[in-house]
Amino acid sequence: MPPRFGRRQLLAGAAALGAAGLGLGLTGCSGSGRPEPLQFWNYYAPQEQGDPEIVEQSKWFQSAIDHWNANHPEQVMPVFVPDYVNPMNPRIATAFAAENGPDIFLISPGEFLRYYNGGVLVDFKPYLTQEAFDDFYPETLATRIVGEGIYALPMEVDPLSIYYDVAAFEEAGLSEGDLPATWDQMLDVAERLTTPRRSGLVLETTPGYYQNFTFYPWVWQGGGEVVDPITQKPRIASDAVVAALELFAASIARGVAPRTLPAGGEIVTAFTQGLAAMWQRGPWSISEFQLQAPDHRYGVFPLPLPPGGRQITVAGGWAWAVNNRGRNSDAAARFVVESIGSMSAESIARGADWNYRAKSNLPARRSVSAASEQLPSYADPARAAVRELVSTSRGEPRYPPVLYKALSNTIQSVQLAGGDARVQAQVAQDAIESFLQTYEGGTLV
Amino acid sequence: MTALSLNRTAGRVGADRRPLSTMQKRERRAAFLFLLPDSLGLLVFVVVPMFLAIGLAFFSLDGFGHLRFIGVDNYVRMAQDPQFWSSLRVTAVYVVVVVPVMFVVSLALAVLVKERFPGVGVVRSALFLPYVISLVVVGMIWQFMLTDKVGVVSRALAFVGLEGVSILGSPGLALAAVIAITIWFQMGYYMIMFLAGLQDIPGELYEVARVDGASAWQQFRGITLPLLAPTSFFVILTSTIAVVTGGLDLVYVLTQGGPASATSVLIFFVYEQAFLFGEYGYAAAIGSVLLVALLLWSALMFFLTHGGRFSHADD
Repeated sequence: MPPRFGRRQLLAGAAALGAAGLGLGLTGCSGSGRPEPLQFWNYYAPQEQGDPEIVEQSKWFQSAIDHWNANHPEQVMPVFVPDYVNPMNPRIATAFAAENGPDIFLISPGEFLRYYNGGVLVDFKPYLTQEAFDDFYPETLATRIVGEGIYALPMEVDPLSIYYDVAAFEEAGLSEGDLPATWDQMLDVAERLTTPRRSGLVLETTPGYYQNFTFYPWVWQGGGEVVDPITQKPRIASDAVVAALELFAASIARGVAPRTLPAGGEIVTAFTQGLAAMWQRGPWSISEFQLQAPDHRYGVFPLPLPPGGRQITVAGGWAWAVNNRGRNSDAAARFVVESIGSMSAESIARGADWNYRAKSNLPARRSVSAASEQLPSYADPARAAVRELVSTSRGEPRYPPVLYKALSNTIQSVQLAGGDARVQAQVAQDAIESFLQTYEGGTLV
Repeated sequence: MTALSLNRTAGRVGADRRPLSTMQKRERRAAFLFLLPDSLGLLVFVVVPMFLAIGLAFFSLDGFGHLRFIGVDNYVRMAQDPQFWSSLRVTAVYVVVVVPVMFVVSLALAVLVKERFPGVGVVRSALFLPYVISLVVVGMIWQFMLTDKVGVVSRALAFVGLEGVSILGSPGLALAAVIAITIWFQMGYYMIMFLAGLQDIPGELYEVARVDGASAWQQFRGITLPLLAPTSFFVILTSTIAVVTGGLDLVYVLTQGGPASATSVLIFFVYEQAFLFGEYGYAAAIGSVLLVALLLWSALMFFLTHGGRFSHADD
């Protein structure tokens, strides 16, 4: 006779399973006696598959962690959390809200104040030697310093410029001599490069911190500011900001720039498939070309200028930060400084390896720049062109979310919805003024 | 009229005050135990967070443990926030278009696939298929098809002379695209609801109507629509809730709320406030308003339709 399986058995089984699960859960909560490894939230590592540059970057992080783990009792563990640095991704925000934030994490200037004002960042100043502090380019640390403290250590600098597809230029009968130097020339050249399939010029269109990041240099070129770093007052309702907004709008209105990014925002695919000819991007694109399409011909030139404008660009880049409520913030800070902020030969070589092999940004430190000269990729023409931007680079501003949003709304409205630049700039000015009346926190630089 | 019969039976059981037999007690205990896990889940993951969120709306919370009571400040801020009103307008358009259109499309599809014809099973499955796919994947597929210049939709538009149209990059078209994709995604689910309702309608009624010379349209108006009233009530109520509280994934993947906030529906605005800005209290306040609005809408629906029965006949 087959065994009976009735309602009673089902309920009993469910109860037993529940009890077993609870037991296992409680067992899992009990400590093993060993200190937990420090969690380094990372969207680079560990990743063993993917595009070649992703695998190389993952190996770099793993190598830095392995080196620390081999020499210290406090172990560090990379935790792969895809896309957590995207401000729209709630993973890290919810982790901090639940008092379970990572010990070490990557942070952009755009997000810096949110964490600094939240009081969760460790000051690296006590851990850095004076020599190492002086080794960082001042502009790379400027947006990570509040008062006397240093609350994040940059691993790279990525100044924005225009990347162009040589084949598209040739096809349009253009040469290097036609590379635009002014805004008007840029739009004219873009018009000649535009075809039913190809966009002549790509400027960022997706609302977000990144679009604001790409917008700043066009403002600064004309002497404008979103917030004056000295007076801490908004200056968004100004001719320079209005001109930059009108440039973005004109690129769309003239049909030379797309309303959405070609190839899902992938520059290598866009260039190799003939979908874009010029693109405002950062130097990380160099390693993307190098590893995905090494034979594709492209070039780099500085951002064109408005009439009477000055050469300046924005430089972002990821920094490492430590959670002062973490498992062992002292060890975590020592790990960060030893990995990317010490004067040891390993730390300097590691920086050069990151910026000139695994990735293609510029070093944030003088010693790393000097060590990079020995690497084969140093002579690469695109990297040489990007290096020339360093002297005219300014760090990405750190603005709190409300300020970011006010500017983002203005850019979006003028660029994509036909809003009047001056009116929208005034709307943002009013919103930021109102916000700053009650703002308390780190300075806006 | 199965539902009505059950209702009457339930009324009789409720009125019976005789002591319960041992068997009945066991039945009740078993019913309670079967309901317990789901009820606990609802309590822990829905009811408690809901009340916590309502309470949170009276606080300023930055996501780093700093909590400060601010009374109704978040509600005052909401009333003065142009972004909130903009999102509310977008949401209103979204709901007012999606719910009725989806109702009509789902009902039409249900009527179509109710008929037996070769391959009807395949057609039903194909129409339901989008609903089983993750909305994120749906968003990515449509984003691929709607890509400017080279996407299949853009090419088709260029073929008919509409070259250079950017669907996801133009404020008006982007919202229309989100609306269309939402309907395409959800219509299969509501089609199944209507199909179940249609199959509950006795065939004899149609036979009598045909004998009396009623046209197909008269049969639809005189038999199908009235007898589908409970299903229609369910579809309107649940689709409104689904449209107001859903759509985040789609908007996130397709447009990030852009261009120029044209697709920033209220639920996306709430998400942005909470996770992008760390304004958890403000987000909770907006969420509370949404909750109250949906409760009022549900109550109104119940009131107007007498609990979905559309008639006093059984009161």
